[in-house]
Amino acid sequence: MKRFILAFIAAFIFIFFWGWLYNGVLLKGVFAEAESLFRPRDEMMGLFHWIVIGQAGLALSFVMIYASGFAGGGIAAGVRLGIMLEILAVSARCAIYATQPFPAKLLVLTSIGGFIEMIVTGVIVGATYKPAAAKVS
Amino acid sequence: MDWKKFFIAFVAAFGFIFLFGFLWYGKLMHGAHQEVPILWRTEADFGNHFSTLVFGHIVMAFFLTLLCARFVPGGGPGACATLAILVALIYAGADLITFAVQPLTTKILCGWIVGDLIQFAIAGAIIGAIYKPAPAHSTFVKERSP
Repeated sequence: MKRFILAFIAAFIFIFFWGWLYNGVLLKGVFAEAESLFRPRDEMMGLFHWIVIGQAGLALSFVMIYASGFAGGGIAAGVRLGIMLEILAVSARCAIYATQPFPAKLLVLTSIGGFIEMIVTGVIVGATYKPAAAKVS
Repeated sequence: MDWKKFFIAFVAAFGFIFLFGFLWYGKLMHGAHQEVPILWRTEADFGNHFSTLVFGHIVMAFFLTLLCARFVPGGGPGACATLAILVALIYAGADLITFAVQPLTTKILCGWIVGDLIQFAIAGAIIGAIYKPAPAHSTFVKERSP
């Protein structure tokens, strides 16, 4: 349980800072091209806690999936899980792109950032979470 | 891996996900979506991007099937539905982030989260019911009597 919590906290911290750096700083100009699809900055700041809750939920779900079937495989298993989950996220992004008038560039760039995020999260979780050894009587 | 069962499970999952998406997001939530018309493509523009929607659903069904087939060794609807619900929770986290940055209404947010959970739970159960790996071959050795 201790390692589970540690893995969750480490994954959450990384997801939070990566989200800020990639989406908030590096892609700021690209997001500005689709300004009409986003809330004004002040309104977004007023709902900032939902971003934090969403990222915490994402990190928790990742660690739970890893612990339920991937633990024991270490970093490689974490990376595999991260890649699979990001491919699922890209599929959802495709559905959003089909219904909302986002520029294609944004779909590609957020997906690249998503892959980096999920692979590094996989490395962090795989390195931190180790299943308890089975008791031998 | 039993590829024949895998393929049948994938096709069934795709059929369900596509149909559910159409009914839940396209029909049931149509009114809620229309409360923020600025967010959506026009009918004609949506038609031009429809192939991307189908592609997304194919990828979603394929990788959900792969995830269940590879990491729920015993198969079964319950275990696969549980894994799929955990995947849906990741989507729910992304929905919350989207709500904070895009002018979605609370009704849309709740509809998306509930839709994700139902969609993935049922899709996972379908995959688990269809994809059951064949039991491992066993070699029996008769014990010698003393």
